[in-house]
Amino acid sequence: MAAGQPSHANAEASSSKHSIYEASTQYRHWRFSPEQLVDTRASLNAAAVSVIRDAFEADEARSSTTVSFLDANEESLLVKLYVGKVSQLCGHFRFPEEVEATAMSYLKRFYLKNTVMDWHPKNVMLTALFLATKTTNNPIPVDTYASHIPKTQPSDVLDLEFLVAQSLGFDFAVWHAHRALWGMSLDIQVLPELTREEVHRVYQIALNHVRASRLTDAELIFTPAQIALACLSLASPHLAVSWTRLKLAEDADMLLSAIQPIKDMVVAHGSSPDVEAVRDVDRRLKLCKNPEKVMGSRAYMKKQQEAERRADEKRKRKAAEVRRAMEEGDPFGSELARDGAMDDDDDDD
Amino acid sequence: MSRPPSGNWLRGTVIRKGGSSVGNTRTSTPQIQSTSSTVFGGGVKDASGRVSEYSSMDDTCPVCKSDRYLNPKLRLLVSACYHKMCESCIDRLFTLGPAPCPICGKILRKLAFTPQTFEDLGVEKEVAIRRRIAKEFNKRREDFADLHSYNDYLEMVEDITFNLINDIDIPDTEARIAAYRRENAALIELNVQREEQYQKYLKEQEEAERQEREQIALELRRLEEEEREERAKERREIIDKLETSDKDAAKLVARSRADALRRAHARSSSSTVANARLQRSRTAQSAVVADVPHVPLQDDWYTYEDKFVLRDDYDDPASEAVRRDRDGIMRAGGYRVEEAWERALRSAVAGLEIMPLQGLSNEDSAHPNG
Repeated sequence: MAAGQPSHANAEASSSKHSIYEASTQYRHWRFSPEQLVDTRASLNAAAVSVIRDAFEADEARSSTTVSFLDANEESLLVKLYVGKVSQLCGHFRFPEEVEATAMSYLKRFYLKNTVMDWHPKNVMLTALFLATKTTNNPIPVDTYASHIPKTQPSDVLDLEFLVAQSLGFDFAVWHAHRALWGMSLDIQVLPELTREEVHRVYQIALNHVRASRLTDAELIFTPAQIALACLSLASPHLAVSWTRLKLAEDADMLLSAIQPIKDMVVAHGSSPDVEAVRDVDRRLKLCKNPEKVMGSRAYMKKQQEAERRADEKRKRKAAEVRRAMEEGDPFGSELARDGAMDDDDDDD
Repeated sequence: MSRPPSGNWLRGTVIRKGGSSVGNTRTSTPQIQSTSSTVFGGGVKDASGRVSEYSSMDDTCPVCKSDRYLNPKLRLLVSACYHKMCESCIDRLFTLGPAPCPICGKILRKLAFTPQTFEDLGVEKEVAIRRRIAKEFNKRREDFADLHSYNDYLEMVEDITFNLINDIDIPDTEARIAAYRRENAALIELNVQREEQYQKYLKEQEEAERQEREQIALELRRLEEEEREERAKERREIIDKLETSDKDAAKLVARSRADALRRAHARSSSSTVANARLQRSRTAQSAVVADVPHVPLQDDWYTYEDKFVLRDDYDDPASEAVRRDRDGIMRAGGYRVEEAWERALRSAVAGLEIMPLQGLSNEDSAHPNG
């Protein structure tokens, strides 16, 4: 990642060494520029629309012309609504903040690899939260979990679990801004002329900003420490400035200007989206959902049949191979080279 | 194969005759009574330097056909060509100088007969040959540039040994040995010296240890003596006092007992001091290898150690409950609030300097699985 390499704050310490943050999967796999985010979402949306359009056409010719598909912005709006729902759910279950933040990260990351037209965030959100309870060591039995959520069976949660984990690339560890902010609230206590009440007041305000920042894309662009610093700066600009000066000396001003976009982002997008607008999006989503993923639809049946047929074919081929091997007198088959056809049977489903 | 103690594999210097040795600890080894006046050397010595000889009830001399029934003192010896003969035959045939072996005709000398150690003469022969080879082929691993050439050398030695044992190409093999000896005379000599030095070192160490043990025993004896004297003196004193003084007898006895106890205590502590000193000197001798501290993790990640200082205490409502918990129930699993603080502090400064990506440039490296 040479191109993204920053001018280091302390060149002598990090010239030979890499920051420990760079070892995280969050840095390696889930760090984007704003332009990349827009581009990723747009291309994902375009690909999804063309696939779903084909599915509609296959289902019933010329049916796709009347459907108005969601665009990338509408998709993110829907995701954002459900990201906000995670905190409601966590309040209900009294999960720790780490679970909430992790589940939100999972949800955002999931929709950088998938589209809401394939997988509705309502379901994915439940799975992401359940997965987050496990990955942050706050496990809860799936039956208990499902019984507290209306109209949800344990299977609804578990069916998507592998899909979600796979989309996340099994990168379960997340570095959180709220932990960085906690560290800052401890570390600003070394600053002089600061009362205990002042620290607590600033911390609470900043924490609320961190919570708001989870509704934005900040964590996909900036490091958690930068987000925490921006939130601290929103709560008490002079505290943030003096703490940064203490930590980074001459590079402080550059950093303080670099976190300005986070502040703007938190202020502008740090609240739940307008419910009316989302409701409209959701209504349209019902019409443009990928028919192959809707249980009972013709496309779904067709896809199931296709999968069934393929599995059946594979089974038959395997049985034929085995029979042939048995007839030739060697139950384990003979040379490996001849049985090239056996190879594709490894991915048994 | 173990190295011979020092180059006296065919000299009769250490051998003890069965008749002269008393207090034999190895009851399984039969003691051979020699009928010959000659002292035969060689044979395989056990740890005490004694040669254990093999003999059985149905030994028969292949030359004169006399057996143990006729001659209970029958002692069979082995010739240089590995044929057995009884002592009287050897005396009869070889007293007048070298003579041919009655079995194979090889010219033998009387002094080249050795006692038999192993039942199987093949083993006897192999052991003797290996000793001989080991004396000259005494190169070590350090004498070679790499393991490969050392292994080649070992292979060659094994080849030669095998040839000698199985009588394959004897003249050729002997020529090889001679050639090797010529080429490596200096090195062989050096290694012999090294070996001798090592033996000397071992002996010295043993000697030192023995002296130490003696010292301790002496010390203990002295202490015991002193104690005994003291007790006798004490008893005398008590009797004297009881005679001269008009104080209460029981009190006097009690006081002198207390004195004695105190002195005994002082003695034992002084001896433990001496023991501790001995112990220390011994550990100082054995501690040769420097103990390098173990570093469990070696990588070059920068963990921001210079960016924060963990203080002993913070005003932190979040961890209040854990710190207040006097019984330590919340810390039972090994939770330390200092570690949580350290992690938070580190994460507060980690990545502060990493600027966000710009543009679409490194799209591929940003999310390779995307």
